[in-house]
Amino acid sequence: MNSIFSEPFFTVLFGGTLTASTPIILAAIGEDFVESGGILNLGLEGMMLLGAFTAFIAALITENVYIGLLSGMAAGVVLGLLFGYLVIYLKINQIVAGLGIGLFAIGITSLLFRILFGAEFPVIPDITDKTAIPLLSKIPYASSIFNQHLITYISWILLPIAWWVLYKTSFGLNVRAVGENPAAADVHGVNVYRTRYLTLLFEGVLAGLGGAFLSICDLSFFVFHMTQGRGFIAIAVVMLAKWNPAGIFYGAFLFGICHSLTYGLQILGLDVPREFILMLPYVAVIALLCILARNTRFPAAFCNPYERE
Amino acid sequence: MRKFPSFLFIVLLYVLMFFYTTTKAPAIPPHPGARPLKVAVVVPASSTDQGWNQMGVDGLRELKDKWHLTIEVAENQGYGDIKPVLRDLARKGFDLIIAHASGYQTVTPEVAVERDVRVAVVENPAAVRPGLVSNYEGEAQKGAYLAGVLAAKMTRTNVVGCVTSAEVPDWNRMTVGFMEGLHSINPKINFLYNVIGEASYEDAIGGKRNTEAQIAAGADVIFGMGDGASFGIMKACEENRAKDGGKVWFIDVIGDKTGIDRKQILLASVLWNFDVVYEMMLIDIYSDRFGDDYRQTLENGGIELAVYKEIPSVARAAMKQAEEGIKNGRIKVSNIADTREMRSYMRRLFK
Repeated sequence: MNSIFSEPFFTVLFGGTLTASTPIILAAIGEDFVESGGILNLGLEGMMLLGAFTAFIAALITENVYIGLLSGMAAGVVLGLLFGYLVIYLKINQIVAGLGIGLFAIGITSLLFRILFGAEFPVIPDITDKTAIPLLSKIPYASSIFNQHLITYISWILLPIAWWVLYKTSFGLNVRAVGENPAAADVHGVNVYRTRYLTLLFEGVLAGLGGAFLSICDLSFFVFHMTQGRGFIAIAVVMLAKWNPAGIFYGAFLFGICHSLTYGLQILGLDVPREFILMLPYVAVIALLCILARNTRFPAAFCNPYERE
Repeated sequence: MRKFPSFLFIVLLYVLMFFYTTTKAPAIPPHPGARPLKVAVVVPASSTDQGWNQMGVDGLRELKDKWHLTIEVAENQGYGDIKPVLRDLARKGFDLIIAHASGYQTVTPEVAVERDVRVAVVENPAAVRPGLVSNYEGEAQKGAYLAGVLAAKMTRTNVVGCVTSAEVPDWNRMTVGFMEGLHSINPKINFLYNVIGEASYEDAIGGKRNTEAQIAAGADVIFGMGDGASFGIMKACEENRAKDGGKVWFIDVIGDKTGIDRKQILLASVLWNFDVVYEMMLIDIYSDRFGDDYRQTLENGGIELAVYKEIPSVARAAMKQAEEGIKNGRIKVSNIADTREMRSYMRRLFK
């Protein structure tokens, strides 16, 4: 029992929470822009998965973390543009196209992994390390907060930047206008198609980076469907945050801390059915969605394809 | 007289042929259909997971040449409705379909009856039907008992962890066996137990996080059951040091991960050799006795504890003693498959 309240335990709990939140924060920022522009991308999970796979292959071959991360982002962009072609140009139902993209990514990564490696299980040599922030990383009980992978710090920095871009720049205004009333935005000279493609491109970069973080930084190997629903969690977090990037951190952190609590409570050996403990993160998210998202107003043109008259 | 060499030659040839045919392994009798058997195996995840799925497929591949089998592997079938896959295999005329997942144990016998095709299911002895449905399961609790003995002898902190991707009968049995092995050596040991999720077989990240939490709580030996998730468990053991600054040992199940053990932390694995039970099924198909309950045991080689590192002689002696005790019946390892029963037993054993 004493070990539960020890510093190493809390360190792992907090550190693990922040590491687990990183891919969700990155993907959620991208999805925030896309949804603010009126598109729902359920293919986010697939973009992360393909990003994880491509980054893993590139890092394995080059043993260079940056080439790996860039490749992951590129893969996310490719899927983002493919999704854009389906829903913006061909005007296919966004839900169907998103699910299709997700299934495609699961299938193609499994197939390519099999073709490339057969029964082998390759592991990337140690090419990433955590970056400790001087002084802050020495604070008892909180040291792990400031001893994270570089991508985790980048995800934190991206949150205020995303808020500033979405709410304080003309591009952000265009995105929100396209999500609210694409016809009116078009009349005022905003290129609706280009704006929506740009949001998907941005989302591809971040989702691919989130996936790359999983396979290169967190694990250093690839396993089938390793994203395990993190793309869908990111979508829930965006709605929980009511499309405000500032709220994404809290949503992702809440999910992460609830997940970490499931490990801690199990080790504590409480006489509570494990099912209740394992349900905790999902129950918390659903409860908060019920409370916070009750009066949520979706962008007016949400999920509607735009046809220029 | 000139005929004598010819006679001698014929006699010699006959003698040689006699010895050849009697010393060679008996030929496989012809199948009633006068063709080699067609066997399919259906697995829920990748056949390269170095765990349950790969061992299930490798077991069949091992028998391919010996039994001249035509085999088909249907992998990544998930845990949803696999009836269409089973029906398709039945339509293709397979003589035996091995549904290699406990999640397939209910629907597979239904398809067997519907399409009149031989099937093998996991952990559903009640479904056994002569000529049609066989069941197979491993008495892995005995292998896990040995792993528990090894863990108890190797721990320096007296804290041992167990991380599992689900609470399914096989995993539960192994947890119980492992606990009893630990308890037999040191009843005061601190045992930590974490479940990653309801069916988190492929959740490598969840495996890593749970293991890190156990290591932070003092564990220096981790017994991991997880399929794809076990890679995450292994990764956590690689990346973290125990409280005394030493290695965190990892004890795996089902497969052999020595090929990726870069940090030399893989201590042992409870191996499941499925070819043992598959071969029993093939023999029974030929002898028209198919439809039985097959077991992988320590005795028939279906289960074994492979130790990959040099271990102290006291640990080796304790394991040897335990193995002999299990084989001669002196040590009875509990066979508890039910989750609730397993948890209550855990509470009683490690109060």
